[in-house]
Amino acid sequence: MINRKYIVRWTLSAAIGLTLLSVVVACGGLGGQPKPIRVGSKDFTEEFIVGNMYALLLEANGIPVERKLDLGGTPVLQQALLSDQVDVYPEYTGTGLLTVLKLPSSTDRQQVYNTVKEEYKKQFNLVWLDPAPMNDTQALAMKKDVAAKLGIKTISDMAAQASNLTMIGPPEFEQREDGLPGIQKAYGNFQLKQYIPVDPGLRYQGLVNGQADVVVAFSTDGEIAAYDLVVLQDDKGLFPPYQIAPVVRQQALDANPKIAEVLNKLAPLLDDATMQRLNNEVSGKKREPADVAKEFLQQKGLIK
Amino acid sequence: MVLVNAFQYAAARPEELLRAFEQHLLFVGVALCIGIALCVPLGMLTSRSQTASLTIINAANAVRVIPSLAILFLSIPYFGLSFAAAALALTVLALPPILINTDAAFRTIPAEIKEAAYGMGMTSRQVLRRVEFPLALPVIIAGIRTATLEVIASATLAAFIGAGGLGVYITRGFALFDNSILLVGAISVALLALTAELVLGGLERLVRPPR
Repeated sequence: MINRKYIVRWTLSAAIGLTLLSVVVACGGLGGQPKPIRVGSKDFTEEFIVGNMYALLLEANGIPVERKLDLGGTPVLQQALLSDQVDVYPEYTGTGLLTVLKLPSSTDRQQVYNTVKEEYKKQFNLVWLDPAPMNDTQALAMKKDVAAKLGIKTISDMAAQASNLTMIGPPEFEQREDGLPGIQKAYGNFQLKQYIPVDPGLRYQGLVNGQADVVVAFSTDGEIAAYDLVVLQDDKGLFPPYQIAPVVRQQALDANPKIAEVLNKLAPLLDDATMQRLNNEVSGKKREPADVAKEFLQQKGLIK
Repeated sequence: MVLVNAFQYAAARPEELLRAFEQHLLFVGVALCIGIALCVPLGMLTSRSQTASLTIINAANAVRVIPSLAILFLSIPYFGLSFAAAALALTVLALPPILINTDAAFRTIPAEIKEAAYGMGMTSRQVLRRVEFPLALPVIIAGIRTATLEVIASATLAAFIGAGGLGVYITRGFALFDNSILLVGAISVALLALTAELVLGGLERLVRPPR
C-alpha cells in the first residue's frame, strides 16, 4: 500500500543509494589512472594545429590527454588556466604582454619573452615553456587591387582614410590593447567607418565578398597567400613579437615534469614559413587540423 | 558587483546600446511582417484544404527542426555577412508558430456559427470578415506572440555574423570573458521579450470576443 511511510522510506533509501553511488564513482575516478592533461586552444586555425600537436606529443610520450580545443578568445583561455579547467594551451608572447599583463609594448623578442615568463610565474603561478622562432603578429591586410586603388601601403595610410574604410575582425580585437584601441593611440585616433566583429573563421569571407576593406589578419594566416592579399606595413612599430609557446599550470608540471621536455622539442621546429604552410593546409586545402598536426609530427620524427 | 558593472557599461555607451536595440527591433519587425503576411493567408488555406494542410504544415514542422544558427551559416554564401542572411534565418523561425496557430484558429470555429451566418444571408466574404476572422484572431495573436518571443531571443545570433543587434554584447562579453558586458545583452533582450509579452498578451485579451 502506498502511504506516507512508504514514500518516506523509499525516498530515504534512494537518497542513500545515490550518495553511495556517487562516492564510489568519485573514488573510482580518483584512485584509478593518472589525471589526464587538459590541452586547450583558442578559436582559430593556428591554435587548432598547435594544440593538436601538443596533445599528440604528450600522448606519444605516455601522458594521457583530454582535448579542450576551440574554447574561445584569449580571456577565455587565461581564465580556464586560472580556474583549473585547462592545464596547457599555446599562447603568444606579445598577447601575454599586452592583453593579459597589460604592460607596454616592446619590439625586443628576448625582453618580451623574459617579461612574460617572469610575470606569469609571479602573478599567476603559470609557466612559459620555450618559444618557437615564428612571429605571428597581428596585421591589417587588404585586397591588392583595393589597396593599390586607394594608395594604401602602411597603417598610417590606412589611418588617414579610415573614415571611408570598413574593418572586419574578431570581437576581441575591437577592445584589446594591441588591437584597435592600440592602433588608434599610436596612429592618431582615427575613426573607422565601421568595425564588423565576427567569428574569426568568417573574417576573410567578409573581405573577399567586398563587405569590408581591411581585415584583421594574423601574419601566418594561410589566406594571405591564398587570396593574394597585401599586408599593411606597421610603420610605427606598434606590434610586439608574437612567438608561440606553451603556457602550463605549475601544478600540472609538478605532477608531470616530462611535459616541459616533450613540448620543448617542438618549439625550434615552428618558424614562419612552416607555420604558414601548415595553416594553408587547413584553411586553403580544407584539411583537418588534427591530420595536418599528426602528419607534421610524423615527418619530423617526433611521433610514429 | 556584476549587475552594477553591467549597468555602468551600458550607461557609458548609450548611442551604441540604442543602435543595437534599433537593429534588434528591425530584425524582429522584418521577420514578423513577412511571417504574418505569408502565414495568415497560408493558414486560412490549409484550414480549408486537406492537401494544402498536409504538405504545407508538414513542411513547416520539418523546417522548424533546423537550428537557426545552421540556417544562418548556410545563407552566408548567398547573402554574405549581412542583415539579409540574419533576417532570412529569423523569418524561417517565425513561420511555423504563426502558420500552425492560424490553421488551428480557423479549424476550430464551430460549424454552427458559420451556418447561422450563412443562414442570415451573409456572403462568403462577409462571413470571413465579420464572423470567422474575429473569432480566429485571439488564437492567431497567440501564435504571433510565440513567434515574437522566439525571434527576439534568436535575433542575438545575428551578432555572430556581424549583423548587429543586442547579440553584440553577448559575443563581446564572451570574447573578453566579461560577464557584465554579457549581461547588458542578456538583460536587454529579456526586457524586450517581457515588453512584447505584455503588449501582445494585452492585445490578445482585447480582441477576445465577449462571452
